[in-house]
Amino acid sequence: MLLAAASLAAPVLAGIVYSVAASVGLVGAGATGHASMARVAYVLSERVSWASLLWTLGVSAVATTLATAGAVVVAVMFRDNTTMHRTGRLLASLPLPIPHVVAGALGLWSLSQSGMLARVAFALGVIAQPADMPALVYDHFGAGLALTLAWKEMAFLGVVATALLVTRGSAAEEAARTLGASARVAFRRVTWPLLWRGLAPAVVAVFVFVTGNYEVAALLAPSNPPALALLVAERAADADLSRRGDAYVASLLLLGIAVAAVAVHEWARARWEPLAP
Amino acid sequence: MTSSVPQARRGGSHIVRVALLAMLALTSIGPLLLLAVWSISGDWFFPAVFPRSVTLVAWRAPLGADALSSALATSLELAIGTAVLACLAGLPFGKLLSRATGWRRHAAAAAAFLPVAAPPLALATGLQVAALSLGLAGTRPGVLLAHLIPATAYLSLLFLGTFTLLDPRPEEAARTLGASAAQVWWRVTLPQLRRPIGEALAIGFLVSWTQFALTLVVGAGAVRTLPLEVFAYVRAGDDRAAAVGALLLIVPSSLALVSLRWAAGRTSMLPS
Repeated sequence: MLLAAASLAAPVLAGIVYSVAASVGLVGAGATGHASMARVAYVLSERVSWASLLWTLGVSAVATTLATAGAVVVAVMFRDNTTMHRTGRLLASLPLPIPHVVAGALGLWSLSQSGMLARVAFALGVIAQPADMPALVYDHFGAGLALTLAWKEMAFLGVVATALLVTRGSAAEEAARTLGASARVAFRRVTWPLLWRGLAPAVVAVFVFVTGNYEVAALLAPSNPPALALLVAERAADADLSRRGDAYVASLLLLGIAVAAVAVHEWARARWEPLAP
Repeated sequence: MTSSVPQARRGGSHIVRVALLAMLALTSIGPLLLLAVWSISGDWFFPAVFPRSVTLVAWRAPLGADALSSALATSLELAIGTAVLACLAGLPFGKLLSRATGWRRHAAAAAAFLPVAAPPLALATGLQVAALSLGLAGTRPGVLLAHLIPATAYLSLLFLGTFTLLDPRPEEAARTLGASAAQVWWRVTLPQLRRPIGEALAIGFLVSWTQFALTLVVGAGAVRTLPLEVFAYVRAGDDRAAAVGALLLIVPSSLALVSLRWAAGRTSMLPS
């Protein structure tokens, strides 16, 4: 059993070990042969690294929050077995099989200054030329990137939230209503805690995925500051060979975010759902 | 009077629901329609809301011998290979992991979760040198092996759940009646696993089919899959070819999703 578990984790652990070794200059491009924290210190002292990290975390947080809010609205508003509710759930899940690279292309074609939104705005007389359209793509705030990722991930979170409400939420909420709770109180005290605790692992997974996504960022994000995944790719292909090793430090930052997010989730789960003796 | 308030609330809630439904239809069907129209559009520049002409020229590419058809074939090969091999590896891994108890079970699940949680680009950056030193960088076997890492982890977790929930009584009964281990596997266990195996094949296919960063880095630009070609067409501004490629990417994903839902709806393997 332990061998099976080790086999599954081995490629990732090997990748992490190599990245750490390359980050301290033991192996890879620009290696000096002896361990040194100079490269790590250099990358972490660069303003662009922190700007990239904070920008990526901010956009990922906005995208994940929007996707979660949308998913909760869909799950709460379309949870019955009527045709309208089933149609709502089906429509919300349609982006689920769309690959991220396609979502990025759709974001570009819909939200750019000559995209479909701008064309409709022109037809309605809201704008007179593409420049009148607010920049939603390659913009400093990453609005187009956050909206596109939120649209794509809302489908996944919507499916999870709906399944949670159907399997766990309805009966508890009905019991609360029978005991005299108002709809608002029943939602706040019963449905929302159930929904949030069940949805949290999926929300963490989405946040981690969105943070590390490359293809959508490459199509929609600005070049300054670069998204963290773009910074990794940029450094890995740097014309200056001695700088290629910096990519490993940046990739460890990405991995660090993933590990931290999973740890935070596990901590929160242990706090909310202590194991029964 | 007292009953009119809830009625008014219900009416208000119905209007909100209809508005939401319209918004969902616009944001879910709209982009798919946009793709379909873009794939057959002739000249289509700002501020035209509809294309001025229609052409099927971009749809001839997947049937011909250009980059898109070659990428389609490569993607299919990799996705089918990944689905089958990850299923063959994930099934015994899942069974072994399901036997663990206590802290070993948590550790095993965490080990299987690691390749799923690791950002593909970070994973690929770490794997790139291993692929280069083994002579696998820029080759299809190298990309296949890279796709197998997350796919096997996904399917191990899937089979871990499957074997945890699988009713052990039929296997025990067969053994009590004198069946050998092989007979129990072929006659009792495997028939119960048909649907999970179908789901696993669909998930394994999807993991590889939509994979981007691992293909880009380990494939080193020499292995061109459909997601990479779509990305390249979008970056080059060839929206028509990109739309055709995007639609080709969506069709198998949608079929896999439909088959997963169908399987989930018919699954009856859980113990009562």
